[in-house]
Amino acid sequence: MADPLLSARGVTVRFGGLLAVDEMALDVRARELIGIIGPNGAGKTTFFHTLSGVLAPSAGRLLVHGHDLTGQAPHVFAAHGVARTFQTPRVFRDMTARANVTFALSFAGRRRRHAHDVFDDARSILRFLGLGDDADRVAGALTPSRQRLLEVGMALGARPEVLLLDEVAAGLTERELETMVALIRRVRDELGLAVVWIEHAVRALMGCVERVVVLHQGRKLADGPSAEVARDPAVLEVYLGANR
Amino acid sequence: MSRIGRLALGAAAALALAALPWLVSDFLLSLALTTLMYVGLAVSWTMFSGATNYLSLATAAFFGLGAYVTAWGVATLPWPLVVLGGGCAAAAFAAAVGGVILHLRGAYFAVLTFGLGELVRHTVTYVEKSRFRTVGRVLTVTPDATTVYLTVLLVAAAAVAVAALVRRRRLGLALAGIGADELRAQTLGVATRRVKVAGFALSAFFAGALGAAVAVRWTYIDPPAVFNPFIGFQTVLIAMVGGATTLGGPIASALVFSLLTEVLRLRFPYAYLAVLGALLIVVVLYVPGGLASLVPRRPPRVEPASASGAARG
Repeated sequence: MADPLLSARGVTVRFGGLLAVDEMALDVRARELIGIIGPNGAGKTTFFHTLSGVLAPSAGRLLVHGHDLTGQAPHVFAAHGVARTFQTPRVFRDMTARANVTFALSFAGRRRRHAHDVFDDARSILRFLGLGDDADRVAGALTPSRQRLLEVGMALGARPEVLLLDEVAAGLTERELETMVALIRRVRDELGLAVVWIEHAVRALMGCVERVVVLHQGRKLADGPSAEVARDPAVLEVYLGANR
Repeated sequence: MSRIGRLALGAAAALALAALPWLVSDFLLSLALTTLMYVGLAVSWTMFSGATNYLSLATAAFFGLGAYVTAWGVATLPWPLVVLGGGCAAAAFAAAVGGVILHLRGAYFAVLTFGLGELVRHTVTYVEKSRFRTVGRVLTVTPDATTVYLTVLLVAAAAVAVAALVRRRRLGLALAGIGADELRAQTLGVATRRVKVAGFALSAFFAGALGAAVAVRWTYIDPPAVFNPFIGFQTVLIAMVGGATTLGGPIASALVFSLLTEVLRLRFPYAYLAVLGALLIVVVLYVPGGLASLVPRRPPRVEPASASGAARG
């Protein structure tokens, strides 16, 4: 099997006495579509923060393309091809949608070569997301669901190889959710990116990804093809609750 | 106005201002000099603090450092070198402390930068007393008033030109991104620490150079005069009243402010500061975006990353 693009080894995060993430290991390979689920407080977002350099782990290592980036700042992760979104969309509200994507293209995306012509400029990225008509609108004036899409666009502007999505489905209507799920698949299928998607809305996620990682109390409880994980008794016990 | 139109306007204004020493009285020239000084200070402050929302009160520290470079060097060094030295001293100082304090935000950063001014003032006082056995310095050899005026004009014009340039470059874009959402900018590839230090130092350069150029107006220099916190407050005030995220706002505001201060000082010698304070409160309450927000303008535009196409290879 090819070397992983992104690799977490024994990643541990402590907040004082609280063990938020406990010896997590995850390998993300090219074109993988991975979902991470887990109940509230399982450490999903904290783990995600370490994957993007936002939070340095208390122990463990993070490798991107085999380079040890443990303890490096987020812009270094971005420069190595790891881009992310945030739970609450963090777009530059006063800038136009186009300027938001241009921003990413001007920094992390600037020196990163990428095969796909979607990455040529802000306009083609916005069109890929179905935001072509919103290019000149100020980001803060877009609907929340469009801001979410735009944030994915900003991440794509970084011309990444691994896209980390933090609860991109939160607060979306059924229809918007379908659009988002279709988009996530296209990001992988058409653009050839690896995607790691953390989600609360388990059903939508299970139908979209091929591999699921279940986090529970900071530890990895299960890791495998979605169909298998969905039948795993331990997972059903802690995560899906009583209906066994 | 088109870019070329603005360039032409700027150049014409600078030329007209350069002719002032031969056209107006000493009083008016001195007023023009003060105005230009505040244009330069406010614009350079805006370059960093306006863009990033890191509210710096360190202008007095940079200005005073520049002034002391003049105090120490004006008798022995050529004048351009003195002014340049003042700017470089302030920039070097800003870069050194910036690396340490630029992770603080909001009130902490503001208070700390204010403290910087005091720290430098007391350090200079101590060095002067213990090494040179003096509390102040009389400047005997100084350039003439016209040279000083033209120097201040040059530095202020350079500040405006550099600010305009920075806004169009990646540095300006990065600074604006830091102001909008620092973590987001960082996850999109901005080396925030380096960018902040660079912006802070660049902004300090002009404050220092202006301090160095203006210092010779006072024949007697001592720390309380040149590290006057009022200079820092005044700068922030002018920039905020003008609209700290714009370039034209602080320029217009510095003009209004200097002229208004002069008029008020002449008419209400004892109450002018109170009147100024009241005006500020009115502006903050009713025109929070500054004077610039009163002028209708196009939505902010970012240079297309056309460089990205070329830079891909």
